[in-house]
Amino acid sequence: MNSRVLPALALILSVGIFFAYVKPTWSGPLKETKVAIANYEQALDAADEYKKRQNELASARNAIDQDNLNRLSVLLPDSVDNVSLILDINALAARSGLSLANIDVLTDDSTVSGKKGNESVAQSSGTLQISRANPVGSVDLSLSAIGTYSALQSFLAGIEKSARLLDVRDISVKGSDTGVYNYQMVVRLYWLR
Amino acid sequence: MALGVFFYGRILSANEASKYKKLTVAETEIDSKTVESFVRLRNRLVSGGTLLDEHVAFSGFFSSLEKILPTTVRFTALHLSIGQNGLSKIEGGGVAKSFNALASASTAFAEDGRIKDAIFSNININKDNSVSFSLSATLDREIIVFSP
Repeated sequence: MNSRVLPALALILSVGIFFAYVKPTWSGPLKETKVAIANYEQALDAADEYKKRQNELASARNAIDQDNLNRLSVLLPDSVDNVSLILDINALAARSGLSLANIDVLTDDSTVSGKKGNESVAQSSGTLQISRANPVGSVDLSLSAIGTYSALQSFLAGIEKSARLLDVRDISVKGSDTGVYNYQMVVRLYWLR
Repeated sequence: MALGVFFYGRILSANEASKYKKLTVAETEIDSKTVESFVRLRNRLVSGGTLLDEHVAFSGFFSSLEKILPTTVRFTALHLSIGQNGLSKIEGGGVAKSFNALASASTAFAEDGRIKDAIFSNININKDNSVSFSLSATLDREIIVFSP
């Protein structure tokens, strides 16, 4: 009798353990843990890739001459800083022999760009979000000046070769018989947002 | 079998905890300021290059105009502008010594090819036989592009 009951009980117990513990554990917590491990491994691979890329980029940046990086920062500065620029333009005009009568910032929406855009890189909830928006802002300055043609040539050459990137977008010349002309210019300046 | 599952579960849990720890360390090693500096440098390089490619030099136009325009023709007013579409144009008014002088100016523009679609209008003969005119034309990028 015992020889039959015990194996039967063992079988029932085994089946019970299988369905009550083994199967639910295998398809429940163990499966979830495996998924979590796979995700962590993926994240760790990405972190390794990031480290490798960071080292490559750091090497590439270090290979660029620091003077050139500084010049690049002047070419496209981090802020508008139009006041310093106006001072520089005023000095350039004086050196060129051009008399500046008026300088104004055109604040029309069509002439100011980049102020409504997102930050290029914003930190939010511990993650970096890289915006695809145009990273360059621009604003137009309106200038009125009086001077000779050669003074204008000299002034334009100075603007065009300025260490900070400036584009003359519009220029009006009104002639006179005296050789001194009236100029109206719109100069666009840029910065990195 | 149940024991196997139990111990396997423990091993997996330990593995998960270890990976999580490693990931936390890796996360702390990522410096957002460094990433930002790389992104800004890339933006500066790319945008600087693009802007320099489109950098405008009207002084080149004036120098060219000095060479193209006959000495018998002069401008009294000139307006150069670059539209939103990047198309640059010239509008102005001037005086030519004679019709022939104006014709030679028109021919010179056509031969040069960088001052395109030049249309002379409002042509009037003055008392001294000089000819006043208005001009509108578009400018080839080549004539206003900056070259170091």
